[in-house]
Order: sequence, then structure tokens, then C-alpha cells
Amino acid sequence: MPASSILTSVRTPLKTAIQGVAANTYDSVPEAPIVPFAAVTPSVPYLQPTFLGKANVKLKVNLVISVGVAIYDNQSALDNWEKLVISILAAVPSGYEVGDVSNPIPLTIGASEILAGEIQLSTYYTQTN
Amino acid sequence: MATTVITGRDLAMTIDTKNYDEQATSATLSCDVTIETYDTLYSKAYKSIDSQWTFDVEMLADWGAANSLCEAMWSAAEVNPNTTIAVSLTAVTGAVFTFNVLPLFPSVGGSSPDAQTVSMSFTVVGTPTETFS
Repeated sequence: MPASSILTSVRTPLKTAIQGVAANTYDSVPEAPIVPFAAVTPSVPYLQPTFLGKANVKLKVNLVISVGVAIYDNQSALDNWEKLVISILAAVPSGYEVGDVSNPIPLTIGASEILAGEIQLSTYYTQTN
Repeated sequence: MATTVITGRDLAMTIDTKNYDEQATSATLSCDVTIETYDTLYSKAYKSIDSQWTFDVEMLADWGAANSLCEAMWSAAEVNPNTTIAVSLTAVTGAVFTFNVLPLFPSVGGSSPDAQTVSMSFTVVGTPTETFS
């Protein structure tokens, strides 16, 4: 069995699952995200050992999906952001605990301003090999 | 003497010879000792008259998994409720406790956003056997 990784076992499957609803998806912090986007990134605390024993590494992985939309107009930006969040929540695969969703705030990335917020998620990961 | 610290990561647990470390988040073997107190004319006197051991396990529900503990417990509680199951709990290398428990029906379900978890409090039949090395 090939060695597993959090990228291939946790973050990429989550990114793939939400690809159908968000135009641009990332499984790490993007340098210059293109709106609308969803980026799967680490939360705090990121990795929590929660199981008995130390023969294998087993962790609870806490993630956030950062969701951003264009902010040309306040009302439609919030509406677009809410619709995108709800569609992402529906697309999150089983095995992931869905947590709270933060309030969206305007952010300036490069020359453009976006409306962005976060969805809290967690799942459990077992290292193989 | 140097300070010794052992943690839950030093624990190992087998139930019916199968290892369930990767599902269990907590495992505790404890004893409730009944001690009677007598007020004599001279002074107080104490007598230990009974002890009952329990084994508490908290785990992520593993319905549907291969060698599922939840499914094994359900089947055992349904078919052989009075037949004991062997348990081995290793506190740390060199301190192993073996004992027998009666099967229980695990709870099913959980709250919507969280992982489904199961808490089981097994009645230990008899007294655990310790092996210190």
C-alpha cells in the first residue's frame, strides 16, 4: 500500500467534491485566487492526535474552506457568497464534520477587493505506511 | 527518582483479541470499592467488603467497518448476552491488565454536525489479572 498523505487523503478529495459548485477550487493557499473561489486550508489547531496507542499516527484534521466572491455590489455580493456557501455545504462529502461558518468580510488581494469568509470542517486521518 | 509520565498514547486495547486503538478515544478500567465504617466504643473501624470493576470505552462509531467493534458488541449482546468477552488493556509496556466483560448494546446515532461516537461502560466479571514486568 502506498504511503498516504493528508494532501491526497483529505484535502484533495474535499477540493474535488466542491469543484462542481465553485468555479475555482484550491487545496492549498492560492497566491492570487480568481473569484469566485473556494480554498481548502489548515485551521487552528490543525492536527490533533485523538486516539489511543502510538503504533500508527491517527489524527483529527481541522480545516477551513475560505470562500470568496467578487464585491462589485454589496447586496449581490452577499447573496452570491451565501449561495456559494450553501452549495459547498451540500457538496461536502461524508466523513467530514461541518462546523460553523464565519461572517464574510471585504478583503483586498492585489488590486482587487473580494468578499470572503470561512467554513469550519474537520475529519479523521490515519497514516498508512 | 525521575518523573514518569505516561499518556493515552501509551495505551493499547484488545477486545476479543482484536485491537481497537484506532477507533477508541478513551479507555479506563476502574474499581468501585465498598468500605463499611463501624463506630465502635474504642474508635472507628473500617472493612472492605466488596469491589466492582468497570471498563469505560469512548470511541468513534465504526458501524459498517471490517471487524467493527460496534457490530461485534451488538451481535454478542443479542445472541450471547451472558457470555463474557476477553479484554486486554496495556497501560504502558510492562503493565498489562486482562479481564472479562459482559457485552452491551452500543448506542446508535449522534448530533448532526459531529462524528458519531459511542460510550460503553462494561461490567467486569471478577477481578482483572495484572502482569507487571
